[in-house]
Amino acid sequence: MKPIIEVKNLSHIYHDSQNREIRALDGISMSIEQGEFVAVIGTNGSGKSTLARHFNALLCPTEGTCLINGMDSNLEENLWNIRQTVGMVFQNPDNQIVAAIVEEDVAFGPENIGVPQAEIRPRVEAALAVVNMTEYAKHAPHLLSGGQKQRVAIAGVLALLPKCIVLDEPTAMLDPKGRKEIVATVKKLNEEKNITVVYITHKMEEALLADKIIVMKQGKIEMQGTPGEVFSKVEQIKELGLEVPIAAEVAAELRASGQQIPENTITPEELAEALCQ
Amino acid sequence: MSIRLDNVSYTYMKKTPFERTALKEVTLTIEKGEYIAVIGHTGSGKSTMMQHFNGLLSPDAGKVFVDNVDINAKGAEAKKARNKVGMVFQYPEHQIFAETIFEDVAFGPRNKGLSEEEVESQVKAALSFVGLDYDTFANRSPFQLSGGQMRRVAIAGVVAMDPDYLILDEPSAGLDPQSRDNIFREINALYQARKMAVILVTHSMEEAAQYAQRLLVMAKGKVVIDGESAEVFQNHREALKELGVDVPQAIKLADVLRERGLQISNDVLKTEDLVKQIKLAKGWM
Repeated sequence: MKPIIEVKNLSHIYHDSQNREIRALDGISMSIEQGEFVAVIGTNGSGKSTLARHFNALLCPTEGTCLINGMDSNLEENLWNIRQTVGMVFQNPDNQIVAAIVEEDVAFGPENIGVPQAEIRPRVEAALAVVNMTEYAKHAPHLLSGGQKQRVAIAGVLALLPKCIVLDEPTAMLDPKGRKEIVATVKKLNEEKNITVVYITHKMEEALLADKIIVMKQGKIEMQGTPGEVFSKVEQIKELGLEVPIAAEVAAELRASGQQIPENTITPEELAEALCQ
Repeated sequence: MSIRLDNVSYTYMKKTPFERTALKEVTLTIEKGEYIAVIGHTGSGKSTMMQHFNGLLSPDAGKVFVDNVDINAKGAEAKKARNKVGMVFQYPEHQIFAETIFEDVAFGPRNKGLSEEEVESQVKAALSFVGLDYDTFANRSPFQLSGGQMRRVAIAGVVAMDPDYLILDEPSAGLDPQSRDNIFREINALYQARKMAVILVTHSMEEAAQYAQRLLVMAKGKVVIDGESAEVFQNHREALKELGVDVPQAIKLADVLRERGLQISNDVLKTEDLVKQIKLAKGWM
């Protein structure tokens, strides 16, 4: 099967105000399969967002290639197709809402790409249903909670029928309730609709939900693997300025004091299993 | 030395169809020297309450006193009292405006009417507090900094005002774990050195549990729980759940382990407490 995202030797270089060369991404190669849930973690400035912005051609490689569903993002004729294949959701829900009524906001994308009128309504209804916002279709977005706004933003992307959604810290500005809503929505899109998810986050508990985690450092991929593989390397993760989920941290502490706890104990259930046999 | 809210109420968009009461008859005292976390979900009234502490909003009913001065009265005394309260908003880096870091941090002290020498020494002290070297950074543009550094500059701007009451609205939102820890190390060092009041608005129960002595839980415009942090998380679990407020990860993990039969006491708050409890329960120490 052909990967939905395939990046080969990708570098992204820009020049700062003193004309120094900055390599935001430095020779990255990776691929993501259709239907995968991939989390990307790394400190601020490690290149996470820059990488994610290549996935729907908001940025194009300075060196190397980025193939989205086989389409080269360096070729201008592919841009529209790429952006319909991969949708983006950003951190701040308030910056992503354009219309004064929820359903009009969701319809904005399909209208913009010329979807026939008759098809728009069913798409909007389906998208709002998936994110559980049907009852708010006629509401004004600015009166919604952060989590609700963010779900409207996701619906707006879904109405374009993408194969993949990239979410750049979608819960950073939300309260715990809003966070849970978004995490549940994203999980559902991935599991029920088989939509590929690329999820950038600083919250390790959220990264745990992914099939694969990519860890970035200074424009390079430092580590990748299943959550179990990544989060069992507690020391290495901490050296990168990140943290591990609490169960992995506790497991590491117990291991350090000489107890036998299996290496890839990272969730509360796994820790309970290890301790309460 | 305290901030005192006396029966304060506030309604947004009064006399319109969108009228919404955001604060209802709140009475509260915060002493200088306290470290307080304010939690509660979006719309519970946290931000509205914060904006009353320094007079950004004035109450529809009730009064706000800072060091026994009604800050919503007219005159120099009220203004001076308002100036004792420093506020770092959410995403403070969005409020950076000056061409150099020095100018940005100097804005507050200058506004307070300090002499240029005093301004400079305040800026120096503030930058060193947030871990930015004065000689390296003073003349740089703040817009070339990383997100975490920009936030430190913004916090320095408020620190330079030398507030007796420092309000921080989600100072770690959007920061990676390391930058978050750095910001808190600085805030805590500042608190230790100056013993002002720190009022931390946060959605992170870990931060509330780890740093604050006192916890205020808000819901529907009222302070519904007010107590010592550890005590609140231990004894008000059901109430917190009903309010849609989370508890720290360590407590949740302790619950899971307890359900599986491990004997873990219910005063666990932090990761290190939990590790200790597990060792005790398993007879490993």
